[in-house]
Amino acid sequence: MMPSEIPAARVYLDVCEVIQRGEEPFARIMAAVNALAADQALVLRVPFEPIPLYKVLGKRGFAHWAECRAADDWSVGFYRDRAPSREEAAAGALARDRTVLDVRGLEPPQPMVRVLEEIDRLGPGAELEVHHDRRPMFLYPQLDERGLIHETDEPEPGLVRILVRRGAA
Amino acid sequence: MSRPGRPRPGSGISPLVPLGYLVCAAAAFLVASVGIVWLGPELAGHYYHPRLLALTHTVTLGWVTLAIMGASYQLIPIVLERPIWGERLARWQLAILVVAVTGMVAHFHLGSWPGLTAAAGLLAVGIALHLLNVGMSLRGFTRWTFTARLVVLAYGGLALTTVFGLALAVSHVWPFLPGEFFPTLHAHVQLALLGWVAPMILAVTARVYPMFFLAPAPRPWHSFLQLWGLTAGAPAVVLGLLGVPGLLVAGALAMAAAAGAHAAWIYEMAWGRKRPGLDWGLRFVLTATAFLAPAALLGVAMATDRLVGPRVALAYAVVTLGGWISLTIVGMMLKIVPFLVWYRAYSPRAGREPVPTLAQLSWPPAEGLAYLLLTGGVVLLATTALVGEADWIRAAGAVLALGSLAFAAALSRVLGHLYAGAQTWPRTPPICSRWRDV
Repeated sequence: MMPSEIPAARVYLDVCEVIQRGEEPFARIMAAVNALAADQALVLRVPFEPIPLYKVLGKRGFAHWAECRAADDWSVGFYRDRAPSREEAAAGALARDRTVLDVRGLEPPQPMVRVLEEIDRLGPGAELEVHHDRRPMFLYPQLDERGLIHETDEPEPGLVRILVRRGAA
Repeated sequence: MSRPGRPRPGSGISPLVPLGYLVCAAAAFLVASVGIVWLGPELAGHYYHPRLLALTHTVTLGWVTLAIMGASYQLIPIVLERPIWGERLARWQLAILVVAVTGMVAHFHLGSWPGLTAAAGLLAVGIALHLLNVGMSLRGFTRWTFTARLVVLAYGGLALTTVFGLALAVSHVWPFLPGEFFPTLHAHVQLALLGWVAPMILAVTARVYPMFFLAPAPRPWHSFLQLWGLTAGAPAVVLGLLGVPGLLVAGALAMAAAAGAHAAWIYEMAWGRKRPGLDWGLRFVLTATAFLAPAALLGVAMATDRLVGPRVALAYAVVTLGGWISLTIVGMMLKIVPFLVWYRAYSPRAGREPVPTLAQLSWPPAEGLAYLLLTGGVVLLATTALVGEADWIRAAGAVLALGSLAFAAALSRVLGHLYAGAQTWPRTPPICSRWRDV
């Protein structure tokens, strides 16, 4: 059950494929945790409930919620278990309706699958910020077909950023 | 509205276009491998034989060139981030190329030079349409990366090879080319290999192998040696064969340096990759790279006259065309075809319902069998070609033909998803049973 006080701004990280490849997802998860803003929650997609991780992040002041969508498909959220200061809240207000999805380092077509899955959950007025290795030329037609508006830029070498939002109804 | 010099997001070519090219290429590969069994006695003799010319062009045009052109219609949007200009043009071009290549192979087989010249003219039209399509796709292109430079170099090589080949065909009917025949023929072959196929493979692998292996792109010295080795080496080898002998050895050494840098990068990348497991497609491309060593050694040995004669030339052709180029293409197709089929059949449903992964589209037992038979067959064929024993060449051809059948079966299984994709895909089974101890 998802508590009502968790932050609306969320960063999504899918480690299913990393685990499937036999790699250790811990470093990637901790990097995402360390990059979280004060009023952001990290939503992990994992193939099972990561119970030991609750303890690890709990020691760092993170609360969690878990949602079992299928036996092999879990969404687990982590957020700071305290109210943000006024400054933190003000800084986070800008990012309230924007979720960040980092698909760098995934083998095609997993980046496209992850983006399309996330878009399906995108509410009205919300934005999805995708971090990609390259301009996803095969994703753009899919976004257009689904009536989504998208903009692409390259803020730094090796990072392509795609901002996706729903068009006016 | 799109601005000049920037990709126009949202436009995409139908996956059926590159798939059409790749299926035709795979069919040519199968025909060529069966042809080796049939042409064992001819392969034991001198390589300049009408039927062997038919076999060679089945491989170089039907298999290699169609595969590269088809792959380029998928990969140009990925590696150069440009949409393809004309989808309809690409479809027409395929039809023209299939007719032209079939006509050339048939007329080579019959030894009919006027018919061959007409078919070669049609081929030139098809290739010109491809160059037009790619050229228009790259209008306003400004990001001249390593890959982009090599792609342009490759298309320049394709244009020159086509003109050269057409001139050779016309010269058979109305002799006009100066100089000795065989050095001119060798120059045409080397222009195709070193000016068209080699730069295209080096260009594309620099962008897609890091995606497949989850590894870094080539380091600057790798890129420098590959780019300048090819840029200097290919023209030097061709001019050396055409009448400037001093350039031949220098060109061969430059090409060997480019090949060495390419192989060094690939094995360094494979060693330091983040992806722990290797699928059969990646095993194919790694094994293909190993054939660069004997190809470069034989090339330098022939350029310095340490090894001479038709048997060595045939072994060089087998190692280069059959080993490095063909096995690389097979490996790439085992990665590209599943993606195209997945994109066509499942991407519209991705995010809305469970869809299969690429691995679930593939047929690893058939791919593994193809790997064993094709790699073993190439080694056997190179050895028997060097010896010149017809029965053993036929045996090697039979191994290759079985490998091609296994490869075709693996591709057919993937292509079947174009129709099976209309059905609902079941949920992916559990992929891991426990969380690692963090």
